[in-house]
Amino acid sequence: MAEHKHDDHYHPPGLQHQFEDMGQQMDSVTIGMWVFLAQEIMFFGGLFTAYLVFRSKFPMAFAAGSNELDALWGGINTLVLIVSSLTMALTVYYAQKGKKNMQVALIALTMLFGVAFLGIKAIEYSSKYEHGLIPVDGWNKRIKEGEHKESTAVRLPFETKASAAGTEEAHPNPSGDFQINKEKAQPLIDIAQKENFFTESEKIGYFDGGEFSWEKFTQKVQIFFWIYFVMTGLHALHMIIGLGIMAWLLYKAYRGTFSQDYYSPVEISGLYWHFVDIVWIFLFPLLYLLGRHFLAGGGH
Amino acid sequence: MQDTNWVPLFPEQASSFAWQVDYLYFYLIAISVFFTVGIVAAIFYFVIRYRETKKYATPQQIHGSIPLELFWSFVPFVISMTVFLGGAWVYWTQYTVPADTMEVYVVGKQWMWKIQHPSGQREINELHVPVGRKVKLTMTTEDVLHDFFIPAFRTKADVVPGRYTTMWFEATKPGKYRIFCAEYCGLNHSGMGGWVYVLEQKDYDNWLAGNVSDQTPVQAGEDLFTNKLGCASCHAGGPSQRGAKLEGIYNKEVKLANGQTVIADDDYIRNSILNPGGQVVEGYQPIMPTFKGQVSEEQLVSLVAYIKSLSGDAAANTGAAPKASPTAETQAKPAVEKAGEKEGK
Amino acid sequence: MDNVDAMKLDGSLEEPKVNYLTNGWSLKSWLLTKDHKRIAIMYLISVSAFFFIGGIYAATIRLELLTPASDLLESGTYNKVFTQHGIIMVFFFLIPSIPAILGNFLIPLMIGAKDLAFPRINLLSLYIYWIGGALTLFALLQGGVDTGWTFYAPYSTTFSNSYVLLVGIGIFINGFSSILTGLNFIVTTHTMRAPGMTWFRLPLFVWAHYATSLVMILGTPVVAITLLLVAIERFAGVGIFDPAIGGDPILFQHLFWFYSHPAVYIMILPGMGVISELISNFARKRIFGYEFIAFSSLAIAVFGFLVWGHHMFVSGQSVYAGLVFSFLTMVVAVPSAIKVFNWSATLYKGSISYDTPMLYAIGFMGLFLIGGLTGLFLGSIGLTVHLTETYFIVAHFHYVMVGGQVIAYLGGIHYWWPKITGKLYSEFWGKISAMLVFIGFNLTFFPQFILGYQGMPRRYAAYPEEFQVLNIFSTAGASVLAVGMTLPVLYLVHSLIWGEKASANPYMHPGLEWRTDSPPPTLNFDETPVVTWEAYEFGEESGMDLDAARRRDEVSPAA
Repeated sequence: MAEHKHDDHYHPPGLQHQFEDMGQQMDSVTIGMWVFLAQEIMFFGGLFTAYLVFRSKFPMAFAAGSNELDALWGGINTLVLIVSSLTMALTVYYAQKGKKNMQVALIALTMLFGVAFLGIKAIEYSSKYEHGLIPVDGWNKRIKEGEHKESTAVRLPFETKASAAGTEEAHPNPSGDFQINKEKAQPLIDIAQKENFFTESEKIGYFDGGEFSWEKFTQKVQIFFWIYFVMTGLHALHMIIGLGIMAWLLYKAYRGTFSQDYYSPVEISGLYWHFVDIVWIFLFPLLYLLGRHFLAGGGH
Repeated sequence: MQDTNWVPLFPEQASSFAWQVDYLYFYLIAISVFFTVGIVAAIFYFVIRYRETKKYATPQQIHGSIPLELFWSFVPFVISMTVFLGGAWVYWTQYTVPADTMEVYVVGKQWMWKIQHPSGQREINELHVPVGRKVKLTMTTEDVLHDFFIPAFRTKADVVPGRYTTMWFEATKPGKYRIFCAEYCGLNHSGMGGWVYVLEQKDYDNWLAGNVSDQTPVQAGEDLFTNKLGCASCHAGGPSQRGAKLEGIYNKEVKLANGQTVIADDDYIRNSILNPGGQVVEGYQPIMPTFKGQVSEEQLVSLVAYIKSLSGDAAANTGAAPKASPTAETQAKPAVEKAGEKEGK
Repeated sequence: MDNVDAMKLDGSLEEPKVNYLTNGWSLKSWLLTKDHKRIAIMYLISVSAFFFIGGIYAATIRLELLTPASDLLESGTYNKVFTQHGIIMVFFFLIPSIPAILGNFLIPLMIGAKDLAFPRINLLSLYIYWIGGALTLFALLQGGVDTGWTFYAPYSTTFSNSYVLLVGIGIFINGFSSILTGLNFIVTTHTMRAPGMTWFRLPLFVWAHYATSLVMILGTPVVAITLLLVAIERFAGVGIFDPAIGGDPILFQHLFWFYSHPAVYIMILPGMGVISELISNFARKRIFGYEFIAFSSLAIAVFGFLVWGHHMFVSGQSVYAGLVFSFLTMVVAVPSAIKVFNWSATLYKGSISYDTPMLYAIGFMGLFLIGGLTGLFLGSIGLTVHLTETYFIVAHFHYVMVGGQVIAYLGGIHYWWPKITGKLYSEFWGKISAMLVFIGFNLTFFPQFILGYQGMPRRYAAYPEEFQVLNIFSTAGASVLAVGMTLPVLYLVHSLIWGEKASANPYMHPGLEWRTDSPPPTLNFDETPVVTWEAYEFGEESGMDLDAARRRDEVSPAA
């Protein structure tokens, strides 16, 4: 911002006391946000490492877990986030232009997408709760033997019967334990046994008495869901923080704070928002998609 | 062992590679003394010689010297490489189990060491070994991490739940040496120790004679195999049997049903008992039931010893010179692979 | 050079005017301040409180180890005491000590800025430190934690019956304090330098903090997530480190040491920065090999991330992994050696004064030399098999952490005390305590090297009788060390009230921090300084009027 060299007595709006001029402030907050994002990468990096270690040990259990996730909802959420990144990028553009109304509208839209993402996440979580997929025994919905209560999980009008959250017959789960849908996982195990691609860890990890052990297999799927909930949970927490930042931006934009001279808060909030989106772009294929090809390849 | 009241600077040197560790130690002490004395002397000389004589004087300024910097980057690098190579050499000796070892099994448990000999003796917190014999310890734990540490032998190894770790030593001097648990394991960590008794061969034989429990591990394993667990109903006998033949398989390559091959080492045998379906031998059906939960770690050790004895592995007998033994490969396997399960609880 | 007059170049005493300490007296003016100097003072008080608690634990440990039996404390209590000593000292004292106190106070002054780039984030990091610390202290009062500061699984996740969850969360929260501090330092160094303050005119203290900040940014999140995973695992009763369901306890060690080894450099690099300042300034000589010291800090920070496996030589990791980690560990030794050689060479043909901070700096060189050289013992993989988990390790890291970081911290506090408080402490007592600390420290920890080679394992409440003689030496040394550590509290606090007023530049050192009042005004400089001299320029080029300072000293010798 070379054209904005001011003398000491002029203080542009938004210039904080510790900075000499707007250029220095702009540089500082931008570098600051990038450094913060480097930190975030390492934070999620620890989780991705854990995912990598266990997926390479138990790929079939991870595939089974992956197949329990709803790729349709996940896909919709991916779309929602990508569009929200677009509206966020446009917000920055209009902030630089100083167009207040467009900023306000676009921030509101971004927030709407953010809320939509979290809503869908909540629907997915509630479906996991009903299906006994929360990886902690006793934390799932308790379903008595023979109970066929209608699910409370939301169902999309275009969902087919098989993929709808609530239409499958509920498996009894009287103590709310973690359990998996054996019929759904069976084909995976059949393929792996037929084609012989169990890893060494799996050969030890799934079998019991020469027989495939559902109990042991379920434990490994439990690890998948443990990682799934920790990763998506922390991601959702980042989304919630992002929404908080957006709310603050909305207020500031509504007050007309941002202009050509002062738009760095919008820009760095945008960086943060894009980062959270990118984390999801990695989470979605790793958690929802990887492992589906085993069935796609074998079933068609 | 402490015979005098004077403070000993070194523990006794009682294993075949203890001298290597000590020499490395002396080498490093020599390096340390050389640099410490040299640099401290230089500092003292400078500090006294160039002490302030006039307040706020501005001495001649020296910016640095590239040749000097390169010199004192290069020299420490070379020295540290000699230290690295020395350490690597010693480490290789410490963690490469030689052939012809006598095998002893160790199970750690909060807060005791359970030790089982090839000849049937069971000991708690005590380990009797003959002098001049290579002894391999195969170790696991029933709960948390432990670490089997014998200072006089200059070696230790962590004991990890769900997998076997190994260490070896050859005692060179009869005597009584301490065992410590060196990995923090909870409340009574400092009480988890014991003694290694290194005996002359004849004393060791006497000890064996006077101390034999009712069964050697091989005998105990045979008892389990034929009677208690009924393994023999499938595994003993000719080619028509339902279970794979076990004679002569130890440390040999085994072809699996999925086309892969594995070495039938201790871990393989152990896993095949606990998770039979995992690695089924070619030509057999995966029909064997698991024995997980039915056999204790100690019984497993006996079974493994018995199956080894079927291959004529003399290590499993009362202690005559054994031949084959797993090589360094066993230790070099990635940690994660076998950390899979916590068995035998 | 029109701003020279404003920069107190003759170090003269000024009429009292408003400085950062007198700029508002209300509690609110402290708790809601954005002034990095006030935040540093609040850190100083809180970190000292944690140091005191950790010190009490240390004294308890040494008293218990006076006798072989666990008679003073039963082993359960002892396990909690050494765990809490480690947790408090590492996470709440060593890591924040120099960066959060001296770094916070001095970096803006040294580079000629009004404040750090993000004053509010700086305040936030203090609050995060307080919240994390309060949670941890609460857990300690509830009954404490007994896992060892390393929290090894599966003991921490499954077997321990202590407050692992609460402490884990406390350290997790505290981690963000150091992340935000590191972020602030990096940005400040990049964007807030005064005109003319080029990268190679920066004091080495700033370079060291830049390297430290990189480690804080890239390492801390990993341990944060690891401890969070342990906490979740304990809370939920199921997780990925417990082998009972197929989890992996070795994975925990990898994740933990990936941070905790670089964390060692978070603890020692700032100390090296302080020592570079002290050696150069008290020898009144430009530091020898400036660029080499600066870049060796960065080299240490980078290589520090590649050597975590040397904590796991006996964990059952592969022999080959062990060899690679041992090799890289040896490589890290080189940049540390470069620093020591350059510091020694700086003394050559200097004009060396023996002020208290310089005594600490010389002590540091000796102790760090021993700490670093014994690091070679432990990096040498074959020797480590015998030495690891014994008192040799304990002695080694205390030589680096206490002999290095704490000594440097004390040296730094003494050196900048006149700037921070505007008061002069008693040189006599300063020298006495510096020597007591040095002697007491060596007496405490040197015997532990011998104990370690004899095979005494660490974390033992009770030990075999043959180790007693050396343990008595160690405990005796600890009492000397305790006196040496207590004295500064007395005479420094004394100086606050009765000490003589310090001039702007009592030592006539050229750093920018000495070119403003003592204590500095809230915005640090009356006018933005323009730097026209190189780093560590002691002659006339730096613009200091040394003759005027000599005349000043004749009038008021103490100042």
